[in-house]
Amino acid sequence: MSLDAPTKRKLADLAGVLGRWLLGGLFIYMGLNKALHPVDFLKLVRQYELVAHPYLLNSIAAALPWFEVFCGLLLVAGVAVRGAALMLALMLVPFSLVVLDRALGIAATQGIPFCSVKFDCGCGTGEVLICRKLVENTLLLLLALWLLCGVGTRFALRFRLQNPRGGPNRGAP
Amino acid sequence: MKAVLIEGLLVALVGAGLSLAANYLSPRGLKLSRNYFPPPPAVSNAPPTSLAPGGGLTTNLPALSNALALRLQARGLSLLDSNQVIHLFHDPAYQQEQVIFIDARDDPAYQAGHIPGAYQLDYYRPEPYLPAVLQAAQFARQIVIYCNGGDCEDSEFAATLLAPAVPPGTLGVYGGGFTEWVTNGLPVEIGGRKSGVFKNAPSPPTAPR
Repeated sequence: MSLDAPTKRKLADLAGVLGRWLLGGLFIYMGLNKALHPVDFLKLVRQYELVAHPYLLNSIAAALPWFEVFCGLLLVAGVAVRGAALMLALMLVPFSLVVLDRALGIAATQGIPFCSVKFDCGCGTGEVLICRKLVENTLLLLLALWLLCGVGTRFALRFRLQNPRGGPNRGAP
Repeated sequence: MKAVLIEGLLVALVGAGLSLAANYLSPRGLKLSRNYFPPPPAVSNAPPTSLAPGGGLTTNLPALSNALALRLQARGLSLLDSNQVIHLFHDPAYQQEQVIFIDARDDPAYQAGHIPGAYQLDYYRPEPYLPAVLQAAQFARQIVIYCNGGDCEDSEFAATLLAPAVPPGTLGVYGGGFTEWVTNGLPVEIGGRKSGVFKNAPSPPTAPR
């Protein structure tokens, strides 16, 4: 049985809606976990030794969790979906790289196999096995990139900020 | 593509503003201008020292504690080991509050259990606790500050916070921290300070009721 083109597009869009809710929900959950325990997150960010200046370090630890929640809410509600997905993709890449770098350091220091490295990466889900985390981040990144293509327009309050009534993805259910 | 970039930029700007506002409004929010992790001054080459219960100095710290001891020394603080802390806990001066313990962990950890009679001082949110701690610290000849032990640095930072306000030479950091205290089967007070609720009840009582 073969589906016609409109049906395929409709199914892809519905899958996009599910993907949008999944990605948004995950970021709301992970962001809130960090936002509700900002001191713990501050300590974890400090361990990466990315920034030395207190103001910058505090700003990252203070704002990042709430920013994740904000982007997650946009995705779930279907507002500025491609902009939010772009931001999440742009965050996921450096997050994954610094987590990878830290895990390589731990593996080398402790002399254990890479995939046995387990630590709290500050991702909002507590201690995780590094390989699992990297796979998870890769899947989330792919999902964000897919949403960037403009899928998941149904059940969206305002899929695009500009010209919400124009174009094929007008955000109507 | 351009529209997506503009939308992303808008999301970034609005999101950053709202995120900082949420942090500001949150009762658990961070203070952006505060240096939560003050670096120690330059470390000297002198051997590590620790303050013994009587106020004397010892230099027989285990090798594993040397890095911590050096760091504390650079801050003008002393590292206390388990034996010294237990000795201080049973010292009659503890009941007279000439020796005081300060718990530098957060409120949930403190409420779940702390060294009996220890004052609470959450280093990251010290304001509610400082008046009582500073008042008690004025009359103390030895102050023992602890957190969880291990790689926990909160006791070190809390001691640095208190150092300018207490008599010099009185501050000591219990390196093993609360984890070591519990592992040693020592008494633990649950709830608020002097709640009277204990695990491994102290014998004899360590603090006046």
